[in-house]
Amino acid sequence: MKKNKIFAGILVILVFMLNSCSDKEEKKQNSAEISVSQEMTAELTAPPNVPRPIGRRKAKKLIVDMEILEKEGTMTDGTTYVYWTFGGSVPGSFIRTRVGDEVEFTLSNHPDNKLPHNIDLHAVTGPGGGATSSFVAPGHEKTFSFKTLNPGLYVYHCATAPVGMHIANGMYGLILVEPEGGLPPVDKEYYVMQGDFYTKGENGEPGLQQFDMQKAVDEDADYVVFNGSVGSLTGDNAITANVGETVRLFVGNGGPNLVSSFHVIGEIFDNVYMEGGMKMNHDVQTTLVPAGGAAIVEFRVDVPGTFILVDHSIFRAFNKGALGMLKVTGDEAKTIYSGTKQEGIYLPEGGGIQTMPDDGKVKTETASTDKTLEEKMESGKQIYMNTCFACHQAEGQGIPKAFPPLAKSDYLNADVNRAIGIVLNGKTGEITVNGEVYNSVMTRQSLSADEVADVMTYIYNSWDNNKTNVTKAQVEQVKSGH
Amino acid sequence: MKTILRLIMSVLFTSYLTTAFCQSEMVPIKGSVYTPLYGRDSMQVTISDFEMDVYPVTNKEFLQFVKKYPKWQRSKVKRLFADNNYLINWKSDTELSSGQSLNAPVTNVSWFVANDYCKCLGKRLPTVDEWEYVAMADQDIADARTKASYNEYILSWYEKPKTFNNEIGSTFKNYWNVYDLHGLVWEWTSDFNSVLVSGESRKDVDTDTNLFCGSAAIGATDLMNYAAFMRYAIRGSLKAKYSMKNLGFRCVKDISE
Amino acid sequence: MKKFKLLIALFLTLTVTISCKNDKSNTDMVVYQCPMQCEGNKTYTDAESCPVCKMDLKAIDQEPDKVLNNQEISDESIFNLTNNWKTEEGGAIQLEDLKGKTLVMVMIYTTCKAACPRLVADMRNIEAQVPKENLKDLQFVLVSIDPKNDTPERLKAFAEENLMDDEHWTFLQGTESGVREFANVLAVKYKQISPIDFSHSNIISVFNPQGELVHQQEGLGVDNNETVQAILELTNK
Repeated sequence: MKKNKIFAGILVILVFMLNSCSDKEEKKQNSAEISVSQEMTAELTAPPNVPRPIGRRKAKKLIVDMEILEKEGTMTDGTTYVYWTFGGSVPGSFIRTRVGDEVEFTLSNHPDNKLPHNIDLHAVTGPGGGATSSFVAPGHEKTFSFKTLNPGLYVYHCATAPVGMHIANGMYGLILVEPEGGLPPVDKEYYVMQGDFYTKGENGEPGLQQFDMQKAVDEDADYVVFNGSVGSLTGDNAITANVGETVRLFVGNGGPNLVSSFHVIGEIFDNVYMEGGMKMNHDVQTTLVPAGGAAIVEFRVDVPGTFILVDHSIFRAFNKGALGMLKVTGDEAKTIYSGTKQEGIYLPEGGGIQTMPDDGKVKTETASTDKTLEEKMESGKQIYMNTCFACHQAEGQGIPKAFPPLAKSDYLNADVNRAIGIVLNGKTGEITVNGEVYNSVMTRQSLSADEVADVMTYIYNSWDNNKTNVTKAQVEQVKSGH
Repeated sequence: MKTILRLIMSVLFTSYLTTAFCQSEMVPIKGSVYTPLYGRDSMQVTISDFEMDVYPVTNKEFLQFVKKYPKWQRSKVKRLFADNNYLINWKSDTELSSGQSLNAPVTNVSWFVANDYCKCLGKRLPTVDEWEYVAMADQDIADARTKASYNEYILSWYEKPKTFNNEIGSTFKNYWNVYDLHGLVWEWTSDFNSVLVSGESRKDVDTDTNLFCGSAAIGATDLMNYAAFMRYAIRGSLKAKYSMKNLGFRCVKDISE
Repeated sequence: MKKFKLLIALFLTLTVTISCKNDKSNTDMVVYQCPMQCEGNKTYTDAESCPVCKMDLKAIDQEPDKVLNNQEISDESIFNLTNNWKTEEGGAIQLEDLKGKTLVMVMIYTTCKAACPRLVADMRNIEAQVPKENLKDLQFVLVSIDPKNDTPERLKAFAEENLMDDEHWTFLQGTESGVREFANVLAVKYKQISPIDFSHSNIISVFNPQGELVHQQEGLGVDNNETVQAILELTNK
């Protein structure tokens, strides 16, 4: 038996080495360049099922249509909860893609829903993972597209404020990006995702339970469950396999707060794609699945019996619902091991109060001759950030073809009085700075002579310029010269 | 001559209007200074005295309105001013469906029509700040935002299905004698598009001066006010021509001496 | 004569029923015209006297014309907005007066130090990429977010300072409610955060000569290729 396992393991490694001998950078580059030929609609499945493997199919344009539903469901016998769902299930529909696919994602928000939602797919390379582009009001839909660049198992979730509440109500799921050629074939594949829930009543209290914001903030979960409810993977709902088969579990953790110590009692994971990435570990007893993270575990079931899936932070399993079953026909086998408790914090919501940059900006008319260079620099920087920054940019680098650079600028350093004149009177027409021709408009700046002196001194003493110390008198001289 | 005639006619007509519509009742709101979730530079906002409708505008009132102003009927409305969901649940241009109650709040209306409705009655839509100011009251006090029961009540609304079918007055009467600000439907505000929340809740805490002038003012004052977060999120997701099943409106009026 | 008056009254009641713009409590601007129409339909923003016949100018409402013209524009057209605007030259117009030209529109305010100079530069960049002969079919419109402070005089000064005073540049001052409505049509968001400062989205919109939205570009200093292409397609027709 063991020999068999080792053999299978080596085979898997070999297959992978063949696929991934090129270095990482290159691989990513290649993914972006994979061209897509045809269009197909993605098969989406509710847990614990997963869509068919991609096998050897070529990269395609993959159409994914996902509907958001806010609906009441059963948390445990006698207790119900209003779930917010992607595709009507918690976790949301499983999306299966391969590297190089161009996914055209349409997110529709059911008209009966009360809230706007969006989706952040961790498999997306782009701002917000799609969240900004997919922000959609009830009764509307949004479409955006992305290319899958990195293979792995990724979490997706809603990121609308207050993000914690949206996730706590069940808005998460998994998207798999298979490598070129697909994952090695196995006999059974299942979708398991953990989540923690916070209800007004204690665990087990009957009736429709409301979300409890304070408990969520305190990370004091009433329910920690697989696939959205207590008993979703036990009894008649248990997942199944036959002796001798290899089982692959796609394990995710939606959080919002708790980290899962995923363990199958009575089994050792032959292979674990650590954190859902493409690095493989072997012979693992318990694997950590972070909130907003995932793992792929594979094991061959050698002995018949009921194997218990748990979050090995064990009170969660036995008191809060984090329990599932894998039934393999035959006699019972048991291995018990105690885990350690792990806790983590998911993305914190919000930030501090921000103040206006302009606050307290007082125009002081003290003679600049009294100011030290340091004081002038400080005041000059403030003026720069308020007045010049937008066009000439933070490092004085300017904007190509639009606004000339002030950093290491030949035009600037050549003539101080000309530069002062430009600030005082504006400048239009063609100029050549550091070999580049600019033809733009700078308007007259409404600054006092003192302020001009400070900001010019700041500019001349920054970014490799010639360190001229511009005085107020000098500015006034230029002013009167006109 | 022509202009004078027109003036007379319009004055006459305006007064006729105000009597013809069964004008919904209004109550005075005493202005003050308060801190909204998303403030301005000083975080404090000053609210002047104004009057607010006691109830959201009902199907019945809106029915009269579209009969009077056919340009706002479903088949005649311009697409610039309302999307395809506009009054989608009505049986026809001037009839409700059997399941709809005359006394339920009108929903599936766009900002443009809400704005025009108020204007035609010599009123206007409330600003976000005015709406939030009145809505932070519970039954007993003007600012209940720190009360656990207040937050709970609002959050629990999200778990009640189809509240848009409920009749006006079915929720609590607040400190200002205004009903249904929470627990029935969302409501349009005149400057809903002042909410610059992008919907990416984590991004919105950044100070990205490249994106918005003075974006520093974007920053919430109370991270525990989940109910308000959701209201700002819904406003941020809206466009003025959107019509939604859970979105109605009410009007306010400046107090004229 | 009596009958005639009655007819007019009837007609007017009808127009009022269609639109309630006559409600004097609203903040729309009033424009003035010579009662003798010495200069045809020319309007003024102040109640002075006619420069030709010296009669006092009378306040007028432009609504009736617009109602008729409405039939020619589509449902999606921004010309359905009937608010009054002032240009940097002090003239009074409605958006429909811009009909017939491709419109490139952006919302700014003149005291803005951060994003607006960049937006203005973006507009200029777009203009620079349009061949001279296309400019006659094109109007660049900058609408002020801050109608309180951005008077026609201020806008004119801004236009001159920024060398945007040619025929094909137009600056508009509206009313607060008019600006809000206009922004809503463009899906531009903005918020006043201090007496002279606004947060706002940076969107440049292109409309075809019938006032229908054709293209929008969002962000600062973004690649304006698509915008320019959209303009060229419209103006090369």
